Amino acid sequence: MVDPANTSLGKMLLEEITPVVMVLCTPLVEESCLKNGLSFVQMLSPFCDFTNIDVPVRTASDQPYRLHKFKFRLFYASDIRQPNLEVAKERLKQVITKAGEDDFPEIYSDLPQVNDLLSRHESEILPTWFQFFNKELVRTLSFSDHEAFDHPVACLLVVSSRDEEPINRFIDLFNTNKLPSFLSDGAMDPKVLKHYLLVHDNQDGDSEKATKILTEMRSTFGPNDCQLLCINFSQDGQTRHKDTPWSTFRSDALATEHLGRFLKLDDLNEIKNLMQELSSKHIIPYMEQKIRLLNQQVSSTRKGFRNQFKNLWWRKGKEDALDTTNGPVYTFSSIESQIRVLGDYAFMLRDYELAVSSYRLISTDYKLDKAWKRYAGVQEMIGLTYFMLDQSRKEAEYCMENAFNTYLKLGSAVQQNATRCGLWWIEMLKTRNQIKEAATVYFRICGEDLLHSAVMLEQASFCYLLSKPPMLHKYGFHLVLSGDHYKKCDQIKHAIRTYRNAVSVYRGTTWNLIKDRVHFHIGQWYASLGMYDVAVTHMLEILASSHQSKTSQELFLRDFLHIVQKTGKTFEVLKLQLPVINISSLKVIFEDHRTYASPAAASIKEGVWRSLEEDMIPSLFAKSNWLDVQSKLIPRKYKESNICVAGEAIIVDIEFKNPLQIPISILNVSLICELSANPEELNSEANSSNVEPQNDEYKTSTSTGDINSSLVLSEVDFSLEGGETILVQLTVTPRVEGILTIVGVKWKLSSSVVGLHNFESNSVNKRIAKGRRKPKHSPSADLKFIVIKSLPRLQGFIPSLPEKTYAGDLRHLVLELNNQSKFPVKNLKMKISNPRFLNAGNQSYLNVEFSACLEKKLNVEQSVGHANAKKMLQNVFHFPEDISVQEETSLSWPLWFHAAVPGNISLYITVYYEMENVSSIMKFRTLRMHYNLQVLPSLDVSFELSPCPSRLEEFLLRMDVVNKTSSECFQIHQLSSVGQQWDVSLLQPVDSILPSQSLFAGQVLSCFFMLKYHRKSSTSEDSNPLFLQSDVRLGPPGNSEALFDVCSSPLADFHDYERLYQGMSCQGNVDFVFITQLWRGNIDSGAPHRPLLFSHHVCHCSLSSFSPISWFVDGPRTIQHNFSASPCGVNLKMTINNSSDAASSVHVKTFDPPSSNSQSIDATASQSGLPLENQVGWFSIPAVNDTKVITTDALAKRITKSVSLESAPQFIWTGSSSTKLKLQPRATAEVPLQICVFAPGIYDLSNYALNWNLAPIEESQGEANKSSGECQGYPYYLTVVQST
Amino acid sequence: MTSTACFIIVSRNDIPIYEAEVGSAAKREDAAQLHQFVLHAALDIVQDLAWTTSAMFLKAIDRFNDLVVSVYVTAGHTRFMLLHDSRNEDGIKSFFQEVHELYIKILLNPLYLPGSRITSSHFDTKVRALARKYL
Repeated sequence: MVDPANTSLGKMLLEEITPVVMVLCTPLVEESCLKNGLSFVQMLSPFCDFTNIDVPVRTASDQPYRLHKFKFRLFYASDIRQPNLEVAKERLKQVITKAGEDDFPEIYSDLPQVNDLLSRHESEILPTWFQFFNKELVRTLSFSDHEAFDHPVACLLVVSSRDEEPINRFIDLFNTNKLPSFLSDGAMDPKVLKHYLLVHDNQDGDSEKATKILTEMRSTFGPNDCQLLCINFSQDGQTRHKDTPWSTFRSDALATEHLGRFLKLDDLNEIKNLMQELSSKHIIPYMEQKIRLLNQQVSSTRKGFRNQFKNLWWRKGKEDALDTTNGPVYTFSSIESQIRVLGDYAFMLRDYELAVSSYRLISTDYKLDKAWKRYAGVQEMIGLTYFMLDQSRKEAEYCMENAFNTYLKLGSAVQQNATRCGLWWIEMLKTRNQIKEAATVYFRICGEDLLHSAVMLEQASFCYLLSKPPMLHKYGFHLVLSGDHYKKCDQIKHAIRTYRNAVSVYRGTTWNLIKDRVHFHIGQWYASLGMYDVAVTHMLEILASSHQSKTSQELFLRDFLHIVQKTGKTFEVLKLQLPVINISSLKVIFEDHRTYASPAAASIKEGVWRSLEEDMIPSLFAKSNWLDVQSKLIPRKYKESNICVAGEAIIVDIEFKNPLQIPISILNVSLICELSANPEELNSEANSSNVEPQNDEYKTSTSTGDINSSLVLSEVDFSLEGGETILVQLTVTPRVEGILTIVGVKWKLSSSVVGLHNFESNSVNKRIAKGRRKPKHSPSADLKFIVIKSLPRLQGFIPSLPEKTYAGDLRHLVLELNNQSKFPVKNLKMKISNPRFLNAGNQSYLNVEFSACLEKKLNVEQSVGHANAKKMLQNVFHFPEDISVQEETSLSWPLWFHAAVPGNISLYITVYYEMENVSSIMKFRTLRMHYNLQVLPSLDVSFELSPCPSRLEEFLLRMDVVNKTSSECFQIHQLSSVGQQWDVSLLQPVDSILPSQSLFAGQVLSCFFMLKYHRKSSTSEDSNPLFLQSDVRLGPPGNSEALFDVCSSPLADFHDYERLYQGMSCQGNVDFVFITQLWRGNIDSGAPHRPLLFSHHVCHCSLSSFSPISWFVDGPRTIQHNFSASPCGVNLKMTINNSSDAASSVHVKTFDPPSSNSQSIDATASQSGLPLENQVGWFSIPAVNDTKVITTDALAKRITKSVSLESAPQFIWTGSSSTKLKLQPRATAEVPLQICVFAPGIYDLSNYALNWNLAPIEESQGEANKSSGECQGYPYYLTVVQST
Repeated sequence: MTSTACFIIVSRNDIPIYEAEVGSAAKREDAAQLHQFVLHAALDIVQDLAWTTSAMFLKAIDRFNDLVVSVYVTAGHTRFMLLHDSRNEDGIKSFFQEVHELYIKILLNPLYLPGSRITSSHFDTKVRALARKYL
């Protein structure tokens, strides 16, 4: 521990708690002194501080000690009174204001960094004016009546040698009424040490007269108490003092120069000697003496057990009488006052032991007397004395706290005392490194005076900063509190300073409310000082505070705009947070050789288009990056950047989000782009040099958006509701060739705030939605474009393509292609992703009337169908060679549309074209069109075929139609079969099933047809089996409407695609086209896009699931025979037909009916679900009806009900039990069969089987086609009757 | 129920991950700010005290005028800070303990990233219910 006297508190105490010498002087003395620019007291004051004296002191104890340092304070008698509080406050306020001006940070200086602060030394951080302020604050409390150390110890009476009757003057001086109140009201002993001083001004002549007066004085007042001081030895007044001792009185440098200009070194020495003598020979001895005297008195009255007891008794007695807050009034003669004086004198003479004992003695008295102020004062002194003694620290702190609390309890009247006590206490704590505790004391000092509180809080904050470890959170908090207090006192500069420091703590904090408050207030305050620039930077921080309530958001925004308006200029703010830009939503759409008919088309994945265009665009380009071919033309540096065409817009989609709850409106949103000179030129230049032109260009292009500029930028205005997100489409159109870079986006928040957002700056996360470039590309390259000279660009659209339709809808559409440029394009090709839905038609169809053109004409050339069929097989539709789209003309081309299946369908159409004037870089372009359409289910058509068992090559066809729409009504029109030579005919008139010929919503229709193989036609039209049809008109009987031709384009085309999609095409199947129309009554003339015609294609109604071999057994049904003569032999004939295209071998096996017990085995086998391949015997007898549907053999087999076999008569197959024969394709053969019946009865001759094997054909067959099989015989009932 | 109470969960990185004004007093804009300031300033004290005791509940550690800060530090050094003006230590302790359980449930959620903001409305409802019950 250092010597307490060397600590800051110790120094302060040694300076402040020193004897006071009262000065009484005549005006002439002052006059002499003022020649030097100083008052008398000021002149002497610097010489009252002695650091190297050596005075022996003996106080109460007999042990003498030596004082090496001593100081006393000089005051005019008129100043020895309690200072006016208001004046003092005013002075303090000035101190603060001045400090505020001096300490005000530079506007553009960086905000302080916390780490920086921490690394610096304490003295650098702490504002110097704090010390000064604290001292001033303590001084406001001088000369209070409850403390004795401010009471004058001695009185210096000064008279000038020029004064008339100096002796009388001396007497008059002390007798005037100007004496301080203590002396008059009895708080202090008026008998003080008097010292008489005669001042002689050398300029008034020699000192002879003065010496004379001095002798006179000596004889009057005693020889020791009188002295002569001669001043102003210098005659010319040019004396300069290098380090003038008076500099503390006058702050301005000019005045300091002239201070003491008539005082020579001799003068100073004389003054010094005088003061030293005064202190060592008069003041100190006087005090010693007084201490001894007082001590004696105190000992006699208060020391010892008896005295203490008496004192206690006496005090108890008068306890009730006095109840004022200040306690009783103590005069100087009271023992309490004397003890206090004793303590103070002892303290001033540094006899701390004596001081402590006196103070302790008195403190209990004051406590008992409830003289709280005095009690607190004494406690305070005890604490200080303990500190100076450097012992019992706890006790010292306890006393200080006690004193402080006592002062606080007394209320605002003694607030100043509390402040002083607190400051001393704080110094004490600081000395002991209890900085944290010091901070809390600072906080407690804060009283009603806001300004003082502000300073105290700021000091507290520094304490927290300086404590180890630093408490930054507290630091910030107290700075903010302090700033608020400063603000309330209109010390805005201080407030800003504290807040700026606080910002350093709160920077980057996630405690939003704190951050907002700090920035908002600092912004406001800067604005109130007129420093709008800084204000704006702070306000910007809080603009996007989405967590705030609506009202505060409004307030923030309004204030911000207000401040910006006041600056009178336009602010460009990089990364303005209002609105927030969702950078991941950034999407750049541009067109090089790929052009898009609609934005929707542009958003389709590149891969879809690429696969579509694969075999259409030249292979050279398709396989490798087409830029590689052009590497000669394009500088390597830009090889990987994108290409765009002059005059064509680049579209940038970006999302703006309003983070606030209040609506904001955004104006003039546009892109920031740079367009620099030609790549060739740039390439030749050095890198550094090409920066310049770019920058120039940048400026022109951003500042002006006029038509003459090389760039055209679109501007968008929009307003965002609270929390709304909006996708904005911005475009930039380069007009000249060069290199275009999209730098960012800018917008106006109000008339004068421009927000900028640089795409590059945080391009790391950026994603180009198109994904068309390789991942190694840097994102910056994605925003860089080579602009090439303008090229023709086709625009295409299909005007009447419906968005929503019903399945089966067939219509005629027109593709319109426009060329806006001067140059014609040629060599057009088109590819459609989904030919099942959309098909290019023949040019001749362009202007035909729909639905009429589909009708069957008598002289339809079959060749049309041929041509179409060929064209269809190629994926790419070539427009005729001679077609080119000329300047500003349009080309229309017919398309057929057929909604094949329900669902959401995406149609991709690519049109390839080549430019006539071949550009250096681009030779062709593609136009990409995309349509989405929704196809609703309409009619569900299904067909079911079953063979007629009794007839060859005849099938029963059941058509089930369900209307699945909710409201539409369809009028059935026609059913056509396409495929092999099949004839369809109605089994019964439609009228009987569906009288209205209309299918209403939800209605189900079942209809039966007969399907017959049409052999004759096969031979004549063998070459073209596909396009044969057989139609059944289903319309009303009187309908004269023509049937539609399903064998010609486009129905045939679509049918082919249907065949392709619905399954493998194979022979032996039959396809059906079911054509309906919307019920006429439904057709609203106002709706032009109503579908008219519906065609439903059902393909591959399989015949191949039936065996290709069919047969029937022919023979007598009833025979009369006399069994008594012989068993009856019956001849039967089996006709076998091979309907397949392959030769087959057929093996007919007959076997005898099984024995009766075998039936049970079969039954169990059937029960266990095993395949019953070899099942024989009796079957249930189905109703023999030709129209009975027997779908498959397998089904027939399942009908295995046990039939009673009791009286099963026997018959046997005679003749060959097994016949093998070969059947040519589509040939018929007959096999004779014979049975022998032994008894009359009814026989089922089904116990035979056909095994067939198809010879493999070269063409690959579908898996569905069986190559071999076994068929059970059909039931054939033979009745044999016993003939009579 | 206290008239003023502000409950904040501060992650180990000093980031507030949950805030709730649970007092019955009418909400004022600047009060919320003050609460944040006081709680933020109290972090320093927590830092000092948390390592001096093995208890999780640190009791009232700081005060500002008549507002008291009570703190509960979890094992992961997440701090539950309650600013209140009543002196109901037992209730506060129970409150903290129950909130701790809720917090652990939040932590157990595999989709919750420790140290990120707690947005669960269920948690919020539960905490407010606890505040009504204990404070």
